[in-house]
Amino acid sequence: MNAFISNKQEIPIASHVKPDGGAWSIKEKLWLGLSRDEYKAQFLRNPVNWALIVIFAVGVPIILQRYLFGLGSITHASNDYPWGLFLGFGLFGMVPLSASGFLLGTTVEIFGRKDFVPIERLALLNGLLGYFFAVVYLEVDLGMPWRLYYPMFVSLGPAAVLFLVAWHVATYLSVQVAEVSSAYFEWIGWLKGKRFIKSIAVGLTISGIILSTLHQGALGALFTYAPAKVHPLWFSANFQWIHFFCSAIFAGLSMVIVASALCKKYMAWRCDRRFLDSVDELTLGLGKGCAYAMITYLVIKLVGVAHDNDWAHLLTGWGQYFLLEIGVAVVLPMFMFAVGVKNRLVGMVRWAALISVLGIVWNRLNTSMICFNWQLYQEIPHWKEVWTTVTIFALYFIVYRFILYRLPILYQWQGEK
Amino acid sequence: MNKLINRRGFLQGSLVASAAATVSLAKKSEAATFEGYPNAMGVLVDLSRCVGCRSCEAACNKEQNLPAPAKPFNDFSVFDEMQHGQKRRTDETRYTIVNRYDIPGREHPLFRKIQCNHCQEPACLTSCFVNAYTKTPEGAVIYDPDVCVGCRTCMVACPFYIPTFRYSSAFHPRIMKCVFCYDTRLTKGLPPACVESCPQEALTFGRRSDLLDMGKQRIRENPGAYVDHIYGEHEAGGTAWMYISPAPFEQAGFDVTVPKEPILNYVKDFLSIVPMVLTIWPALFAGFHLLATRKDKMEQQKKNENEGEV
Amino acid sequence: MTINPKAVLAAAVLLLAGTLTTPGRAMDQLDAPETVTIDALADLYKPVEFSHKRHAQLARCKDCHHHTTGQQDMDPNCVRCHAQSPETGRVSCQDCHIKKQFYPEQVIAGNNPNIYHIDKPGLKGAYHLNCVPCHIKKNAPSECDSCHALTDKGRDFFHVGGEKNGKAGPAKGKDEHAR
Repeated sequence: MNAFISNKQEIPIASHVKPDGGAWSIKEKLWLGLSRDEYKAQFLRNPVNWALIVIFAVGVPIILQRYLFGLGSITHASNDYPWGLFLGFGLFGMVPLSASGFLLGTTVEIFGRKDFVPIERLALLNGLLGYFFAVVYLEVDLGMPWRLYYPMFVSLGPAAVLFLVAWHVATYLSVQVAEVSSAYFEWIGWLKGKRFIKSIAVGLTISGIILSTLHQGALGALFTYAPAKVHPLWFSANFQWIHFFCSAIFAGLSMVIVASALCKKYMAWRCDRRFLDSVDELTLGLGKGCAYAMITYLVIKLVGVAHDNDWAHLLTGWGQYFLLEIGVAVVLPMFMFAVGVKNRLVGMVRWAALISVLGIVWNRLNTSMICFNWQLYQEIPHWKEVWTTVTIFALYFIVYRFILYRLPILYQWQGEK
Repeated sequence: MNKLINRRGFLQGSLVASAAATVSLAKKSEAATFEGYPNAMGVLVDLSRCVGCRSCEAACNKEQNLPAPAKPFNDFSVFDEMQHGQKRRTDETRYTIVNRYDIPGREHPLFRKIQCNHCQEPACLTSCFVNAYTKTPEGAVIYDPDVCVGCRTCMVACPFYIPTFRYSSAFHPRIMKCVFCYDTRLTKGLPPACVESCPQEALTFGRRSDLLDMGKQRIRENPGAYVDHIYGEHEAGGTAWMYISPAPFEQAGFDVTVPKEPILNYVKDFLSIVPMVLTIWPALFAGFHLLATRKDKMEQQKKNENEGEV
Repeated sequence: MTINPKAVLAAAVLLLAGTLTTPGRAMDQLDAPETVTIDALADLYKPVEFSHKRHAQLARCKDCHHHTTGQQDMDPNCVRCHAQSPETGRVSCQDCHIKKQFYPEQVIAGNNPNIYHIDKPGLKGAYHLNCVPCHIKKNAPSECDSCHALTDKGRDFFHVGGEKNGKAGPAKGKDEHAR
């Protein structure tokens, strides 16, 4: 995309009208107004794309292998660790990182903080894609992916936590599609659709809060089915769902900070002045939210330890590992957020956000894999399982970038809205 | 106009909520405590009798048409097999396993048969979101491969590590687990194949309530011969398959940290907050919204009035 | 001297199938037959030629037969009720220990609240629980096949490869589970 940065100063295709007065067709919008050759040239110029090609060259055959020869052909087929990286990272990690949608939606639509509007759509998109790809990961992991809709329509087990997760993620996914669709409607120029979405925005946002509270919590509650398998320090029958919900708050906010920082640095050509001028200030605002969420999380995490009287475990090796996680993934970024916000150090807030994003993934992997079966042995995923996970993530990255390049997420659509 | 729209949005929100609330009500009623079927059958396993002949493994393999084993069932070198530092476990080719435990201070090793314990309130069943599991009045926990999605939550939930997954198949994967010979034998009143094959009668089949009496009688009438505990009487809320042992259970590989209550009890805390969130959240956040945007509204109103005056 | 797992294998054996008993008459070793062919349970294993005479020289009657064989039972638990019990004519194992253990009739019979012996082994259990511990204790052979040899059916059952059946057992499996 350096083509735009070097050649053209202004944002490409931000309205329906061409510089010469004609109207952009959808096809031209898709090609960003470039010719095939120009598009290919800019694609090949980007080293990131070469890395992606390598990932896919190995990853796609592995995924085919999974669908032709079964999960056992690309994983260790463990009966002791039924859930591996696809769920440990893809579902339990991606979902909290995608809490951004409902958080910013709430901030803007419910609390009326219109100053966060420039970053709201990025947060909504981040949420939508995160959830969508969590479902993609699920489709890789499920034994019978073709039966994804069974819990909805064929055989219902409403007393199960996973039933709640399935329904709420599915419903919330549609809510997010609706929320993000306003950007799409602007882009294709269907104003009626956009206005309709706007008219139900508050309802959508409130249902988003409910659904998010419940399924973020429910993902934690899934582990309460394994009281004897998850290490006591990562397990709390009473607080597991609050731990997961509360950590999803700073996870989602941190993910928006990271995404917006990447956009500012690597996609500035696609951002308008409104976004570029406000993103630093908004980062500080989000960082403040993260710091508050983290201190709350830290307190209830300790309450969880106190409630189950797990103090003795803190003195064991597992206890040190637990303290390491709390120290590196919570306390450290919490102080960085606090100091960064107080002294207006945007860079520090961004690093803090990156640490907390990685930290939350670490926490979820700890709960689902590393500290799971703590009395047995440690399962180390097959390299093909790791590669598949990376490949799906690369796909997520590509789709994310594809949409940011085109839809009015980082910039405002010009003309009638 | 803006206000109207907001109200509409709010109504839609609450519709979603109430629809979901109905679902969660059903949830509560199903989560009620279940004491077990009165005439449910069970098996009492007496570790002092088992000599590790593996006849039960062979009988199970035949009865359930499982794939041929790697080694014959009268090959006892399998007792030395270790994987990840663990003794053998159930997998997609075997519903039951006998393991040997050499216990320091005991002249003879103990043998422990592992299979589905057929809980009274099975964790696999309560965690399944497509109702693939059923606890039958006869006492068996059976599985329906036709509705299973393959999420493997049951495997996570089972405190005894029993359900296994047919990872080897891309098109016909399913959970593989002991079903108490439900369709072939239990429904006809017959003991499961493993029980019938046992030469030592280490496996006693009968009504669960009778087996408890029997187990207690054996413990009482043979002082010193058994540890005074029936594993499975209360473990995981009670199981249909129960064990008595001459040595402490942990020495024979049993997980004695398994809770003495149904696994579902650990999940109830979360399930109980669901209706609360569904009913309180919409009102709460609509309230926040109205409060937070009140100032804007008032300003707008003022502006309108001013315009009217002019 | 460890328990050899082979000691016990499945379904074999019927003891004293041909024992003739005369009610109301005390019996001693001399009344017993020399050998007994135990074949009532033979299926996976071939029948056992049991040398009753030899065993009678090594042990007292009551070591194997609980009662009614002319020697008073010494087990304190049995003596509680059976100190004065008269001798009966039933000495054959299968007269009390049933072949179809755990089958519905037996489970229903267990409903009788007056039954004390709620924990009576079946015939197969009675044999093995009687024979195996003693064989182990006296260092007698205790492998499964030291008492009874596998039949062809038994070899299939245990998936023993070799002479008779090159292909081990029913390898069908798979789709029979797809219901």
